[in-house]
Amino acid sequence: MINPQARNLRQTMSTILEEIETQIAGLKTSTSKSNVGVVRDTGDGVARIEGLSDVMLNEMIEFSSGVYGLALNLEETEVGAILLGDTTLVKEGDEARTTGKLLQVPVGKALLGRVVNTLGEPLDGKGPIKAEAAYPLEKIAPGVIKRKAVTQPVQTGIMAIDAMIPIGRGQRELIIGDRATGKSAVAIDTIISQAKQNKAAEEGRLQDHRPLYCIYVAIGQKNSNVARALAVFEANGAMPYTTIVSAPASDTATNQYLAPFAGAAMGEWFMDHGMDALIIYDDLSKHAVAYRQVSLVLKRPSGREAYPGDVFYLHSRLLERSARVTEEAGGGSVTALPIIETQAGDVSAYIPTNVISITDGQIYLETDLFYQGVRPAISVGLSVSRVGSAAQIKAIKQVAGKIKLDLAQFRELAAFAQFGSDLDAGTKARLDRGSRIVELFKQTQYNPISVEEQVAVLWAMQNGYLDSVPVEKVKAFQVKLQDYLRMRKESILKSIVTKKAIDKELETELAAALDEFKSTWE
Amino acid sequence: MKINKEIRQQSRGLLRSSFTDGQLDAGRVTGLVRSLIEKKPRNYIQVLDAYKRLLRLEVEKRTATIESATELSQETGTEIVANLIQKYGVSLDTRFIVNQELLGGMRIRVGSDVWDSSVRNRLQRLQQQL
Repeated sequence: MINPQARNLRQTMSTILEEIETQIAGLKTSTSKSNVGVVRDTGDGVARIEGLSDVMLNEMIEFSSGVYGLALNLEETEVGAILLGDTTLVKEGDEARTTGKLLQVPVGKALLGRVVNTLGEPLDGKGPIKAEAAYPLEKIAPGVIKRKAVTQPVQTGIMAIDAMIPIGRGQRELIIGDRATGKSAVAIDTIISQAKQNKAAEEGRLQDHRPLYCIYVAIGQKNSNVARALAVFEANGAMPYTTIVSAPASDTATNQYLAPFAGAAMGEWFMDHGMDALIIYDDLSKHAVAYRQVSLVLKRPSGREAYPGDVFYLHSRLLERSARVTEEAGGGSVTALPIIETQAGDVSAYIPTNVISITDGQIYLETDLFYQGVRPAISVGLSVSRVGSAAQIKAIKQVAGKIKLDLAQFRELAAFAQFGSDLDAGTKARLDRGSRIVELFKQTQYNPISVEEQVAVLWAMQNGYLDSVPVEKVKAFQVKLQDYLRMRKESILKSIVTKKAIDKELETELAAALDEFKSTWE
Repeated sequence: MKINKEIRQQSRGLLRSSFTDGQLDAGRVTGLVRSLIEKKPRNYIQVLDAYKRLLRLEVEKRTATIESATELSQETGTEIVANLIQKYGVSLDTRFIVNQELLGGMRIRVGSDVWDSSVRNRLQRLQQQL
């Protein structure tokens, strides 16, 4: 009697053999034509190859050791290629051949919840990724016809941003500031806020919400930073809606240079399939540095600060891929939040000015504000959003319309008020209001505030409910008010979400609720 | 070694002058090299180096290397050469090499183009597919 296990094994073996036979039959008469070259020198993650007369720009090159490269420099007799993978395997004299393919990364929903490298290979030990498709890293950005106006908001959950520097879906908003001013924190908070909204929508608590999937691209970061971000996402339940593309400082300059493009390709899949994506490029200063290294090793002519001449095009072609497209073109959007680190607050350096000019506005974070305890340390004067206001919901516009102006006037008056003690009533009122707004906009990390709560709090401020509250107690007042609204007046919050505007009826309800709350609040 | 623009231009000029009726002329090449060595202009050693490299690439472009696992018969060899000349022109130089590593079949290389019907290549492709 035959053992069933042995029978199974025999069946499997015969299937494998059949498969091999069909493969061999398919190969029998084939003569493959390829275009080859010989590696003349290699080093620093770059190889120079003689031959390869038919190679195309950005084409993948396969080396005899199985390592792949990317043709970046096409010269008269040589090709300069950057190496992907284990660079030590490529030796002088190795044969290299063209593949006719562009570099691609896996895309699709299978990548959500995963940590991948530049090539889309998993780094989190959660097994292989069964991706639905693969997209080329380099793709031409959608043209004018395919684009649509930015009208839907990205609720970052950070009150100062949602009220004063609103971001729309399809926008590119730069986050800029010195080291340790909370740039990544703003980005991470935004991701957490999206996860909370997506989850609320899934549970039916949020109507008409289009989920926003997030891609966090870490370029040249410390591995510990990436691990910390991952832990925060996991702790806040954001990973199911997030992909992390990691090209840490220990990775090759090639991978660091390609990582944002891989992130953009992953985002584009969502856009093409009628979904919305948010990509954080953390950060593009290090990306420019990685590209400078690659360019210098490839012996490309260097320009200002030794960056190559096409460093502007590098970032413009990347950020142009963020767009909101028409229904015919997929109907989705890609929003980009690039991060730039400045040196000693110098926004007029080469890379910061480049990226400022490419993006649709910037959130400028100041060291001084950070150490004064104003966190997020957003500088109201220097931060702008060029398209986001069109995406704000009416309720926020109603309550936050004049806040930016009020705050700017407050800063100006506060500077003058230092010289004299006698102030007229109007100036004093403005100063009082300003200092309370500053307090309101202080927010703890990983604690996004929903849009309806933002509206209620700002409405209370605008209607003078905070004027009698001492400045140092404003924050406590706000927290208690939010709790009170969540616990006792959920209907008001719900009607803000559904109506998306404050009408007479809602105003009366809000006034009644706030009167009641103030009577109980000490 | 970094080659400057001047050296590159001079070596390219030398290569352009090495042809007679579209074919490399050994006599001209010898003459050019000899005159350069006699006159010893600035950077002439680097120019000669760059010229040598360009010549090597030019010769490779016009040389067909036919590798086979076993020695090819006279008849097959002539047929292959005739086909290659039809494709690349009469100036093509041919070289026959026996390479047992191919295991079977043939591998023809002209410049950067390679036609590979060797068993080794098929096995490699099979390995990749599996």
